[in-house]
Amino acid sequence: MKHASKRNFFKAAVLCAGLASASGTAVAQTLTMGVRGGPESMDPHYSALGVHAAAAKHIFDTLVWSGTDLQIEPGLATSWRPIDEDTWEFKLREGVKFHDGSDFTAEDVKFSIERIPVVSGPTTTTIYVRRVAEVEIIDDYTLHIHTDGPASTLPNDFIRLFIVSSEAAADYSTPETAAGGFNSGAATIGTGPYKFVSWEPKGDLVLERFDDYWRGMGAWERVIRKEIPNDSSRLAALKAGQVDVINYVSSIDYLALANDPNVDSIIGDSVYIMNLQLDQREQTPKVYDNDGNPMAENPLRDLRVRQAIDHAIDRETMVEIVLEGLGKPANQLMPPGFFGSNAGIPMPEYNPDKARALLAEAGYPDGFKIDLYCTSDRLPGDGAICQGLGQMFTQVGIDTNVNAISRTVYFPAQANLEYSVFMNGWGTLTGEASYTLGGLAHSNNPEVKLGAFNRIQYKNEDVDRLLQAGATTLDADARRAMYEEAMALIMADKAYISIVQLQTVWAAKAGMVTFEPRYDEDTLAFFIRPAN
Amino acid sequence: MLGFVIQRFLQAVVVMAAMSVIVFVGVYAIGNPVDIVIPPDATQDIREDAIRRLGLDRPLWEQYWIFATNALQGDFGRSFVYNIPVLELIGSRLPATLELVLISVVSATVLGVTLGIYAGYRPDSRISKTIMALSVLGFSVPSFWVGLILILTFAVSLGWLPAGGRGETVELLGIRWSFLTLDGLAHIALPAVNLALFKLAMMIRLARAGTREIMLTDTIKFARAAGLSEATILRRHLLKMISIPIVTVFGLELGSTLAFAVVTETIFSWPGVGKLIIDSISVLDRPVMVAYLILTAALFVTINFTVDLVFALIDPRIRARRTA
Repeated sequence: MKHASKRNFFKAAVLCAGLASASGTAVAQTLTMGVRGGPESMDPHYSALGVHAAAAKHIFDTLVWSGTDLQIEPGLATSWRPIDEDTWEFKLREGVKFHDGSDFTAEDVKFSIERIPVVSGPTTTTIYVRRVAEVEIIDDYTLHIHTDGPASTLPNDFIRLFIVSSEAAADYSTPETAAGGFNSGAATIGTGPYKFVSWEPKGDLVLERFDDYWRGMGAWERVIRKEIPNDSSRLAALKAGQVDVINYVSSIDYLALANDPNVDSIIGDSVYIMNLQLDQREQTPKVYDNDGNPMAENPLRDLRVRQAIDHAIDRETMVEIVLEGLGKPANQLMPPGFFGSNAGIPMPEYNPDKARALLAEAGYPDGFKIDLYCTSDRLPGDGAICQGLGQMFTQVGIDTNVNAISRTVYFPAQANLEYSVFMNGWGTLTGEASYTLGGLAHSNNPEVKLGAFNRIQYKNEDVDRLLQAGATTLDADARRAMYEEAMALIMADKAYISIVQLQTVWAAKAGMVTFEPRYDEDTLAFFIRPAN
Repeated sequence: MLGFVIQRFLQAVVVMAAMSVIVFVGVYAIGNPVDIVIPPDATQDIREDAIRRLGLDRPLWEQYWIFATNALQGDFGRSFVYNIPVLELIGSRLPATLELVLISVVSATVLGVTLGIYAGYRPDSRISKTIMALSVLGFSVPSFWVGLILILTFAVSLGWLPAGGRGETVELLGIRWSFLTLDGLAHIALPAVNLALFKLAMMIRLARAGTREIMLTDTIKFARAAGLSEATILRRHLLKMISIPIVTVFGLELGSTLAFAVVTETIFSWPGVGKLIIDSISVLDRPVMVAYLILTAALFVTINFTVDLVFALIDPRIRARRTA
């Protein structure tokens, strides 16, 4: 791209603007991606942030691969199976080379697993290895991983377990040395499709093709991953020919792009679902009677009130009008097809009359007042959906004061249980139910390490029992049945009300690339192919 | 003079200490940074562990005490987000902001003062009226909008200049600079114009107002009576006499632009410190916020101090008062 922009500059000098659209074609071997967010370090074990992992996937491989639909597939491990209650056996891929030419073996896996707790940052990657008690090397390509009790989701935990070279990273595995060693490139040796060239925090990540990659050679000789957080600027960079493909096109821009012959847009289903959460404590802070006074009891504890709120939501309108068509109505906490999603759950009916009747039946014929909280800067459309909800609730008699605020304020307050009715997105990034239900729907219980994100004190004994059983059941089919049952119970309780599944838009220069969008919204250069 | 320097230095220390307390308490009031960065599948003990690692489990005064004692030894801590020393992080972004801001503020001042003097000297000419009309525009149009229009016009429609980023850089004195390459200059052009417009308008107005006032004074009349040429009068007398407010504003603008070129840096994806502070605020990266604002306070104190020294150079009356 440097050549292209330099050429642009000379063009400016001679005022020869007619050829501007041709820039970029001369460097087809380079793929320049404009992305919203980037890694926080070149150390893949530093952060569990999605954009961090997306960048790391270019250089490093994971032990278990998560496919475009987030279901698990072989990665550096070719197969895995539980051999007893608390041991998993992993068979590793043979013949895999690191960028420095050395062989990938079980030693590198053990090193990587043991390195994580030492170098992890605040967005902690220890979640990937939290169940691992000990790593035992059987031979170069076989590992036994001993866990602290039965760990049914160990392979899912490993989808972001990046494998670094035990030799190259040996001297860069303390909190003080890790960032330096990896950011400079000294330790940034992986088995992934691209080799590290350079990186600037919040700037460009420059990569070069690794010709001996085990999946085969990538299509691009050079990849530049540019961080452009501002949505309009990112689109402008694409239109100006500075980048070839961008992620996270806003819904407004997407409508305008439909008429632009120079730009292709690619729509993918996202893993993120917007969920409304209703506080179940006996006293709740942000619900008031019609005069604005605190209420003696929390109306949200009444199932009929929760059903009324559900019936007040017009999901079709939410998708068509609020999200400009970029979404799908949602009826449960995970997208269809995920491990534990229940196909039998019906789509809730939009019926404001029924909502009013249910409120009257529950003893609130004139409704009540609520403060609705949500993020406005985290996911596409979050603030707008919130505004839509406010209007819909007000129509059935629940006078709603909408507070769409920055996530910087929202998440700490939400963790502090300061809200009564609130909405935020949740993405099941492991593609499997224990991640979502275990965090949100189990009662908050540090002893069994479940329910850490249950910010509404929701508790259903049957759900708790199913989720605890699921966490220790190694048989996949039996486990799936438990999670499906738990999902049905949770959604029937209506303390969590799923509203819409989001969709994400990528845009690229017309006719230049093809790729299959991923549910986790990663933009991975290796899987982006030239269109012709 | 020495007393003056010491007084300023003490002022600076007080301002910086106050700034650090305010930021500490402010971030503490917003909430726990861990809740923003913690991954959704973290269990309760993992969350506790993350809080402990960052030292956020200690009482606020203790956190502040640790910070303050380290800061006095020149260690502002490590960024929560990047895990690299804060000063290194800010230092790596400062050159980008520095070159952008210097180019835009200096060119805005040179151009603005020239146009402003002309407009004040010939207030009734058509060119002067055009200049003043345009300066109103420069004042009143929001800079993010101008930035987007610049991108739309020069990058998207005409394709002459890049839409954002820093372009090719060259290393000089161990620091990477864009302004030394053609590609880098092409990248600087739009954001520099965007940043300069407002300052240009302000400089024009300041210079014009000053010129109109000074041209009516006895100094100018006597200078004319003494037979000096108009060019000499403008250069030697007028320019000196209008420069006190201009130097003040130049200093303040230089400081505020260095510290808060946020909008322009965001729109043009310019990897400077303004973008860094906004990103840090959005994830409550307290070490970066505190260090940044303390450095900003130091910057302003330094600039104000320099401005005072320059006053003394320009205006003999101030010099006389201070030595007295």
